[in-house]
Amino acid sequence: MSQFPAAERKARPTQRQWNEWRWAWGLIAPTMIGLIVLNIIPIFQTVYMSFFKSGAFGKGNLYVGLENYRTLLADTQVWSATRNTLVYTLCVVGIGTVLALLLAVALNGRLRGKGVYRTLYFIPMVATPAAVTLIWKWLYNYRFGLFNHLLSVFGIAPVNWIDDPNVAMISIVIVGIWSTLGYSMVLLIAGLQEIPRDYYEAAQIDGASAQKQFFHITVPLVSPTLFFVLVTSVITAMQVFDIVYMMLGVTSPSYDATVSLVYLFYNNSFKYSNKGYGSAVIMVLLVIILLITALQNRMQKKWVHYQ
Amino acid sequence: MRNKLVSLLLCVSMLLTLCVGLASAEGEPVTITYAVWDSNQAALLQTVADEFHQANPNITIQIQVNAWSDYWTALEAAATGGSLPDTFWMHSNNIYYYGSNDQLLDLTDYIAKSDLVDLKNYPQGLDDIYKINGKQYAIPKDYDTIALWYNKTLFDAAGLSYPDDTWTWDTLRSAAKTLTKADGSQYGFCAGLHNQEGYYNFVYQNGGEILNADGKSGYDEDATIGGIKEYFSYVWDGLSPAIYDDSARAEAIENGLCAMGLFGSWNLSGFAANDFMKANFNCAVLPAGPDGKRASIFNGLGNAISATCKHPDEAWKWVEYLSSEAGQKRQAELGIAISAFNGTADAWTAAYPGFNVKCYIDMVSYAQIRPYTNQTSVWEDKAYELLKGAYAGSDDLTAACKNVASMMNDAIAAEK
Repeated sequence: MSQFPAAERKARPTQRQWNEWRWAWGLIAPTMIGLIVLNIIPIFQTVYMSFFKSGAFGKGNLYVGLENYRTLLADTQVWSATRNTLVYTLCVVGIGTVLALLLAVALNGRLRGKGVYRTLYFIPMVATPAAVTLIWKWLYNYRFGLFNHLLSVFGIAPVNWIDDPNVAMISIVIVGIWSTLGYSMVLLIAGLQEIPRDYYEAAQIDGASAQKQFFHITVPLVSPTLFFVLVTSVITAMQVFDIVYMMLGVTSPSYDATVSLVYLFYNNSFKYSNKGYGSAVIMVLLVIILLITALQNRMQKKWVHYQ
Repeated sequence: MRNKLVSLLLCVSMLLTLCVGLASAEGEPVTITYAVWDSNQAALLQTVADEFHQANPNITIQIQVNAWSDYWTALEAAATGGSLPDTFWMHSNNIYYYGSNDQLLDLTDYIAKSDLVDLKNYPQGLDDIYKINGKQYAIPKDYDTIALWYNKTLFDAAGLSYPDDTWTWDTLRSAAKTLTKADGSQYGFCAGLHNQEGYYNFVYQNGGEILNADGKSGYDEDATIGGIKEYFSYVWDGLSPAIYDDSARAEAIENGLCAMGLFGSWNLSGFAANDFMKANFNCAVLPAGPDGKRASIFNGLGNAISATCKHPDEAWKWVEYLSSEAGQKRQAELGIAISAFNGTADAWTAAYPGFNVKCYIDMVSYAQIRPYTNQTSVWEDKAYELLKGAYAGSDDLTAACKNVASMMNDAIAAEK
């Protein structure tokens, strides 16, 4: 013991260090407590719940082991929901991010009234998803909707936007892209503004075309922001619920073609009061999101350039 | 130092006023929440709540509305979290689930002591819905049946006579054919995918059943499948649009798209407020089945008090008023719903002079109680999921009905 008197003295914090720690923990605490109470504890509760057959009103849960997971493997609805969720994510993140990047570049340049455009694109992000979806539902209405009215003007037969299982996913993807475009765009604009103008000037002197500048300067240098946008929008898209929930119910013929994992979880847990099985369903989503995020982190070394 | 002293004094004085406020709150007004699922009725119930408040100035009633499908989700979440509304509507689908799990206040003693409420005053069987092991958990508020609504203007234009008690399935079908236009701008009938305001009626008119006497599913019986087939065939034959959304059925007749449709008596306040409905529509008893069998789905709802209610006496006072002759009569006069209290139904009929709403009451003699088990809501909507393919014409109906039967029997077996 007596070999380390100096170290021991160092380990005892000074008054100043105490103060710093107190402040640091004090400032982090609200977020930490919120995360633990609202996110981390529920994750473990859900895992625990997935091994039970839930009783009425949260009382009298019955341990059933892997029964819920066995039912899940045989449940075709779970697998169609997994497919729907992946298709939705691929379309919304894929198309949405490309569009957002193009818009960000356009609105970062010298454009008259770009403030107005930026605001316009960002408004959907601020609007309540439920209200937004209701308006889209009205636009999509088969008999009285604006879209079918416009189609009829050009003599095109009406499209059953919501109840046709082959079309419903496209309709939902459109709303999904429309409502997240503004958010990704604003983040990307912030990333674009970090890029020093000198690079473009140098490229211009060397005679690089606008296209070349975009792919060789803009894309590599905005890649850290792009990476962040991709990771967060994949996670958000995987958790899609409100759009599908507001758009169609279990009676709709498109239900099986559009139901997402979270919607299926909601219906099993709350509509059919089977919280144990609902928890097992949502575990599928947790595993998929973990896998995708891990994969993205691995892949980022290949294409993300930190300055 | 002085600043600290001042702020300390301020804090103490704030605490003191808070304490005084709490102390005086004891004799202060009480707010009783009342959760309902029908926004049309809620608007009229507000009048009843205001009148109750005038008579009992210390009790304020706060009405909370949630649409039918969200109502039960929200209520279950509230019950699990121990924060149910003080008073709320209860339904035959859910009474056992809530009553047997100690979520509802046992009203038996309250009723025994009350001068205003006597269960003898309600139609036989209606109060039994809310009775579990001899304990009364809710008091009937109203009852409802299903009638046939028809567009007089379209009938006149087609030269058809209006529906009446001579109508059968055949009359209905031939009228629907006459009223359907080939270009899809007008349909004779609105056969939306719905149980209570749809195929359940046809099932019982055909001598089928949704639940048999042993408490098992009746979906695999021939007569049941026959009834569903007759109803769905309106969609298959192009006499009705395929409608999956609950609210879209009323829209289809309110827009003149469909000439006829089945609607429950609870729609009256909404229909009467619609100028198009007032000008063009009327209602009649449901047509008879192939063997002359008549049926209309009969149901109702009750007022319940939560077991966790903090002011049970005040909550009882409100429910007692709603269940008393005066309260039931007021409900009927305002046209909120057909009041359950014997002898008050005529006041409801008088509230809608423009429509032949008496037909709803005429059907009570052969009405069929909406089938329910201990946890109806689990199998009821899943039945839709399994039937919608057949409804759209892409699946075989008999196979779909057999699937519903086995799903339903599993669900019933899993009930306690």
